[in-house]
Amino acid sequence: MNARELKALLKDWRVAMLIILVAASVAAIYFYPSFNPQKGVEGNIQFGLDLQQGAWLQLEFRAEVIGFTTDRPLDEFVTDLSKKLDTEVQVIDENHLEVRKYYTQEDLTPLVESAGGKVTSYQQGVSRATADVVKRILENKINTLGTKDAKVNTLTGLNNVARYIRVELAGVDMNQAQAIVGKQGKFEIRIQTTGNQTEHVLYGDSITSVQNPSQAPPGSNTWGVGFTLNEAGASAFRAAAIQYGATIDPENHHLQMLLDNRTVYSAPLSKDLAGKVQTENIRQLFASTGQGKYGMQQATNLEIHLRSGALPVDVNVAGSGSVSATLGEHFKQMSLLAGILALITVGFVIYYRYREPSIVLPMVMINASEIIILLGFISLIRFQMDLPTIAGLIAVLGTGIDQLVVITDEILHEGKVPSPSLYLKRLARALSIIVVAAGTVVIAMVPLALMDLSTLKGFAIITIMGVLVGVLVTRPAYGRIIMAMLSK
Amino acid sequence: MGLFTYNIEKYSPLHLVIIPSVLLVISLILLSLNTAATGMPVTPGIDFSGGTAVTLVTSDSKEQLMTTFAGYPLIDVGEGVNRGKFLKFATMDDAQYKSLTTVINQKYPDAKVDQIGESFGKTLQSQAVIALIFSFIGMSIVVFISFRTFVPSFAVVLSAFADMAMTAAAMNIVGIQLSLGTTAALLMLIGYSVDSDILLTNRVLKRQGKLNEKLQGAFRTGIIMTTTTIAAVIAMLLVSWFGQVQIIMEISAVLLIGLIVDILNTWLTNAGILKWYVQKGGGR
Repeated sequence: MNARELKALLKDWRVAMLIILVAASVAAIYFYPSFNPQKGVEGNIQFGLDLQQGAWLQLEFRAEVIGFTTDRPLDEFVTDLSKKLDTEVQVIDENHLEVRKYYTQEDLTPLVESAGGKVTSYQQGVSRATADVVKRILENKINTLGTKDAKVNTLTGLNNVARYIRVELAGVDMNQAQAIVGKQGKFEIRIQTTGNQTEHVLYGDSITSVQNPSQAPPGSNTWGVGFTLNEAGASAFRAAAIQYGATIDPENHHLQMLLDNRTVYSAPLSKDLAGKVQTENIRQLFASTGQGKYGMQQATNLEIHLRSGALPVDVNVAGSGSVSATLGEHFKQMSLLAGILALITVGFVIYYRYREPSIVLPMVMINASEIIILLGFISLIRFQMDLPTIAGLIAVLGTGIDQLVVITDEILHEGKVPSPSLYLKRLARALSIIVVAAGTVVIAMVPLALMDLSTLKGFAIITIMGVLVGVLVTRPAYGRIIMAMLSK
Repeated sequence: MGLFTYNIEKYSPLHLVIIPSVLLVISLILLSLNTAATGMPVTPGIDFSGGTAVTLVTSDSKEQLMTTFAGYPLIDVGEGVNRGKFLKFATMDDAQYKSLTTVINQKYPDAKVDQIGESFGKTLQSQAVIALIFSFIGMSIVVFISFRTFVPSFAVVLSAFADMAMTAAAMNIVGIQLSLGTTAALLMLIGYSVDSDILLTNRVLKRQGKLNEKLQGAFRTGIIMTTTTIAAVIAMLLVSWFGQVQIIMEISAVLLIGLIVDILNTWLTNAGILKWYVQKGGGR
């Protein structure tokens, strides 16, 4: 091939597009968002938990979303139902409720009927809104503990009910992860009504921030913890305090803080605060814990309770896992080795068949460029590469080479190099086979890509992306390159 | 490739499909027997039935490990090359699981632990089944739309189905369980299997020439496609086997089985049906 032909080849849009994409991918891997030479060949590619040290926990909501009908006014029905079920009942929309305590369908149905309603559907989980609240709370909690590399994902089905939430923490082992997430507490503030009776005021999700233990007034050696409520929390607090008489008679209407239904704090409103709450919403509150060392110790504990227990719904651990740093690194090296070895093997088999370096070289290079473009894409969208994704990449390598063989054989039909017009006809025919084959692969992977539940989502997305890159970019470019190679 | 030739001129379509048909029937019988025994066509692994899987690299023997974990519901200790061990535990309650992870953390800090709760496993399982069914239906629709004639499309879909059924039956024989990884491999097989079938159908129906020559030409191309993929899969299998990467090992083992039965189903089942169709006057 002389210089002019090479220039013509590079000017072909298919070839130019391939070169631009490969260059952009290399840039994405190594220079976006920053250049990290200390990471070596990995560049900026993010790894999932099976390729680096870390732990994951899959939590299941102990709650359910039910479809319902009732002849009673909605307010009355919900209040009544909430009493009968002994838990909070949230209205999601006009025919769906969220019950924040676990009941089986068999146990729940008669209770709903006794409140004057009918269950039309039942599904374990919470509404999307509640799942988002839980996600935010968990993220906050993980962040305050200083674990930076964490991911919290709610897994919401097509019907908007989330049954699971998945937490991934890089750099910690299983026991630490369980300590951080597994022991989820449910924090609640209740108010004493009469005698031992209490009423719900707010959950931990109304608390927007918690301060460190401090002395109030400063230097008095009286300790406590300040915390801030959001607007809704403050108005719920005020409404409850006024309704049950805590603003007028604080001593008989203690405020209680509960973690996992266990009372961790109980005290009356101070005279000063009682007066303020009577007239306006107070967002900044201070829970006093007592004098001296004891008071300080209590304040430290209370701070942990205030920070940690905040989930409006109980959860249990549905699945979990962890990988050590050594094993993660080992898997990473093995995957790299598998990929390179697969590419070399493919090269040998192709060479054995065609015995023609000018065919084999472009084929292997096109195949490698597909992988580079996919890695660039993975790096760009900050996708976390895990073992199933690597299997997907190697699968792309396999289908990729298959289709390059189809193109080569269609064009080289009967061993002769065709004239340009015949060549284009044959290339089009080869591409039509490829498009159908690609269509079936994409369709076969779509269900996995849409399902939120499993770790195979990454595998499916990468396979689909690989097929698209192949059909749209690399295979047409290969057709053009092989033509130039053969017509010399 | 020149290693062996593909000349099916002297065989009638019935002769061609007889071996794969017998194999398919045997596979379906095996799968239904397994369904009767375990509730699933392929025995579900921990991903779907719930339990705990532990991967560790240690020179401790199988017996030592069984003693260490005697207090826990240990089901199986698998041994790989390079001192790798794969332990499987049945489902246990939270307290027991916590004590297990503590023991593992102390004795084998480099382990990989994965635990799936029973109900979560059930959910994963039903989702996997749905994914397989939808994938298969989706694939069939694409095939029928692109060929628009019943017999050739049906032949492609039937070969893909036979690929999956035979692979699944072979998984039971070899002892590979159904996991998230192997489900992915079965889905991948849909794509691989249809590749060579589409090539075959396209060459036979849309090109001019003698039927036998077209079949031979398609075979030459198709067999390279499959052998290159098989070569890549073998490379992956060997590395993951020596390197103890279980999920990739399972995926490549299933793909290898699937690609081998695909040769049978494409060049006997699908080719046989196509030959019958063309001889009967279909196509051109």
